[in-house]
Amino acid sequence: MKTSILNIVKFKNYFLISSILIFFSCEKVVDINLNEKDPQIVIEGNINDQAGPYFVKLSQTVNYDQTNEFPEISGAFVLINDNYGNLDTLFETVNPGIYATKFLQGENERTYTLKVVTNGKEYLSTSTIHSPVQIDTLTIENQSLPMGNKKVINVEFQDVAGKTNYYRFIKIVNNVVQPTIYLAEDLTQDGEKLKVSLIDKKSEDVNIKSKDTITIVLESIDENVHAYFKSLLKLNSGGMINQSSTPTNPISNINNNALGYFNACSLTTKTIILP
Amino acid sequence: MKSPLFFILLFLLQIQFVEAQNKYTLSGYVKNTNNGEEIIGAKVFLKEPFFVGAVTNAYGFYSITLPEGEYTISAQYFGYDTKILKINLKQNLKQDFLLSESINQLEEVEISAKRKDENITNIQMGMAKINMQDIKNIPVLFGEKDILKTIQLLPGVSSTGEGNSGFYVRGGNADQNLILLDEATVYNASHLMGFFSVFNADAIKDVSLYKGSQTSEYGGRLSSLLDIRMKDGNDKKIGIEGGLGLIASRLAVEGPIVKNKGSFIISARRSYADLFLKLSKDSAMRERKLYFYDLNAKANYRINTNNRIFLSGYFGKDVFKFGDKIGIDWGNATGTFRWNHLFSAKVFSNTSLIFSNYDYSINTVLAGTNGEIISRIQDYNFKQDFQYYPNSKNKLSFGLNSIYHKIIPGVIKEESDSSINELNINYKHALNNALYFSHQFNSNKLISFEYGFRFSFFSTLGPGNFYSYNSLGEINDSTYYRKGEIVQNYFNIEPRFSLNFLLNEKSSVKFAYGRNTQNLHLLSNSTSGNPTDLWIPSSNNVKPEISDQVSLGYFRNFKNNTFEFSTEIYYKYLQNQLDYRDGAELRFNEYAEAQILFGIGRAYGLELFLKKKYGKFNGWIGYTLSKSEKKINGINNGEYYNAKQDRTHDLSIVAIYEFTKKWTVSATWVYYTGNAVTFPSGKYEVAGQIVNYYTERNGYRMPTYHRLDIGVTWQRKTTEKFESSWSFSLYNAYGKENAYSITFQEDPTDATKTQAVQTTLFRWVPSITYNFKFK
Repeated sequence: MKTSILNIVKFKNYFLISSILIFFSCEKVVDINLNEKDPQIVIEGNINDQAGPYFVKLSQTVNYDQTNEFPEISGAFVLINDNYGNLDTLFETVNPGIYATKFLQGENERTYTLKVVTNGKEYLSTSTIHSPVQIDTLTIENQSLPMGNKKVINVEFQDVAGKTNYYRFIKIVNNVVQPTIYLAEDLTQDGEKLKVSLIDKKSEDVNIKSKDTITIVLESIDENVHAYFKSLLKLNSGGMINQSSTPTNPISNINNNALGYFNACSLTTKTIILP
Repeated sequence: MKSPLFFILLFLLQIQFVEAQNKYTLSGYVKNTNNGEEIIGAKVFLKEPFFVGAVTNAYGFYSITLPEGEYTISAQYFGYDTKILKINLKQNLKQDFLLSESINQLEEVEISAKRKDENITNIQMGMAKINMQDIKNIPVLFGEKDILKTIQLLPGVSSTGEGNSGFYVRGGNADQNLILLDEATVYNASHLMGFFSVFNADAIKDVSLYKGSQTSEYGGRLSSLLDIRMKDGNDKKIGIEGGLGLIASRLAVEGPIVKNKGSFIISARRSYADLFLKLSKDSAMRERKLYFYDLNAKANYRINTNNRIFLSGYFGKDVFKFGDKIGIDWGNATGTFRWNHLFSAKVFSNTSLIFSNYDYSINTVLAGTNGEIISRIQDYNFKQDFQYYPNSKNKLSFGLNSIYHKIIPGVIKEESDSSINELNINYKHALNNALYFSHQFNSNKLISFEYGFRFSFFSTLGPGNFYSYNSLGEINDSTYYRKGEIVQNYFNIEPRFSLNFLLNEKSSVKFAYGRNTQNLHLLSNSTSGNPTDLWIPSSNNVKPEISDQVSLGYFRNFKNNTFEFSTEIYYKYLQNQLDYRDGAELRFNEYAEAQILFGIGRAYGLELFLKKKYGKFNGWIGYTLSKSEKKINGINNGEYYNAKQDRTHDLSIVAIYEFTKKWTVSATWVYYTGNAVTFPSGKYEVAGQIVNYYTERNGYRMPTYHRLDIGVTWQRKTTEKFESSWSFSLYNAYGKENAYSITFQEDPTDATKTQAVQTTLFRWVPSITYNFKFK
């Protein structure tokens, strides 16, 4: 399973170093004088093949030393349309900065365009909903991983033959969405039955245990969205291996230097309760 | 390949240097009297007239042609007693010089009348030789004496990071250094993520570093040439040498094959760092395997006075295993066969057949699937060099070099339930041919110079699909080329020129210009270098990297050559430099070239070097003031930005003091400006995560780095047959918390905040090594 192998490779480098260094290294919090920058817009747009409404969130960056409160952008003009002439202007909900669709319904194999106008600037993005892929089975496996033995969820599903498919998984444990971004693509196994292990990468991920209710969402995403999440994952997976590589902002599918993404996808879910 | 140019050249030279009837040639080898090892770079000079003479080549050979007469000739080399001989030259004469290592090699008492003044008279600038004796005394991390860490203490050379053997030369990238071990390219010179170099100092005879102004014999990298020559082995008697250290142990055996005619040396080293893991409380940690080993072997045999053959090889590997089936291993293998032939006392020839290989393989098991990833680069290399010494003033070098590169970027094999899937990224093939010639002129007056040209022909070859990309990195077109079909040719002429203008017996001014081109490029997102970094050849998308460097230097010796001082300034202009698109995926990517962005670079600086070579107290101070910048389309709005290896200040002080014959104390202190890095200028929230927001490339600095290391060598009683010593060292003696990395993350105690966390690797790392030698 290609994706899985590549992911473990990155892991291994990290643990390879940490194995050696754990005996010598030490950490401390330091003060770094960082430049202040003008706020930049962050757009998070989602539409899928499930029933609406769909939401678009507009916020801003803050300076690094500020608390994690990100100013929302109110009063923007937000519009989503598809390539069949359907068009929906979003309204701002009671939560400032969060805009919702009124009637638009996401359909498979349609391409959607998001348009945001605020502060005299226009931001555009397009994304396509591909056909949904059903999860066949979810299994639990004990895996011996670099960070120790862990219970890992394996997702099995049938890949769509004849084209490159990109997948994103969301793991929900006892109704809590887990932070790790799990991605897969079918590079070597087009049209085959795929089995992907969802290995946690963030320390905040909870370890799964008996009696947990676990829901897996399988999103069939498009190439650009996959590229966005892949680069976000790379940036945010942390670890010493990144210490010297040059970090860059994730590759957004929105123009005009906006941060964030617009994801049009189909999704399916499956839930199990651990024995 | 054979160009008529050479024959024309030879012919012209014959005319130019028509010899008078009464001239004869004195030639031979300079050797160590104890073990028969030839000495590289020894000077064989006439007492009168001054400056007439020769320097031994890489095989210890020299040749001087002089008018008939009586001469007093001296052979000298640092650390050896000078040998003086009176000869009566009335026919061609073969004369070897046997030098013995100075017993009091660092004593103030000087045996020869004249001190050695190589750095004044040598034409080469931007060049440094490492004394293997210094390497023994200089304290290093974990007590493993290390060539690469020692050269980092020279001006113009800087370390890639804490405890790391990787290095930058004059603001160039780490992949712009050509590292040759017995002429074979070493593609990855580090073990254990860079904390050790692959060169076992016990097996090394000579190390020379050229900072971009090497002669035209060498090419292929922009920044530097590190020429490492292995020992040939003792051709007089069997010797055993070794050491036991905390991290690794080593053993070397050498001896004659046929006494005075041939010898061998085999040296091996194995680390046991993973034993420390056994101390861990964590069971997963205890099961880990983590080690490296090296094997150097060399044999040589003198068939007769005019022919000699050498066979040398290196094999090293790093192994990391996590459990049974998961692991990664990587390593280099090189092999060199050489044939030295003397066509006459004036024409020395060397023919080399060289093989080098670097590969890694990763094994993994996941969800019941076995997977393996393999990547490899291989060179098949033929090199023919001639050195022609027509008279005492001129030396000509010329030859050709042909390298076939085969690169396997990545093969991914996966065993699923029903079948084995294999994903093959196109293999890459390339042929690099080069012709060179170089003329060195030493007048007995004030001026000496050397100029040369290197003609490099590079061809990227099929089979495979070759793509062209638009400015966004999307595929425009794809063409399939058959096996051996030429995809792209590049031809480059690389002129080199060095001039030495002698001001007086104590000082000289030197100037050098050199163009270098590079056709192999390392795709790497990290500074320290990962074993999985990928080399790619120039192609239809990637043009050869080009550098032009001018440098000017002033060299001055003081106190009868006890002190050497030099200062050099350089300016380097770089073309076709590589960087990567944001979020580039370089590994296992058929379209990796689409991720590359191109631009230019410039690097300039001032280097100061003061060395005390003799006496109980010796050592050096090296200081570099420099700047290195890149300008790449698509990065930093197309403006110049600091290369990550940009270091404003870099200072190294090395001091070695021999208290008594038994006790030697040494210390090094380094101080340098932190690397240029990219830190976040803000943050935002997306997908439920706090994400850093980056603006300017390399717009920040890591904190300033400084560190003191102390070493003590305790020489035990030495007898005819045996000697031993203990080395103690303390790395980072005053425990400075130097930043290895700074990570920006959520505050674990307060989720509403973020923080910068600095990781420090090594504070107070003590080590102890026991060295022994059976003679």
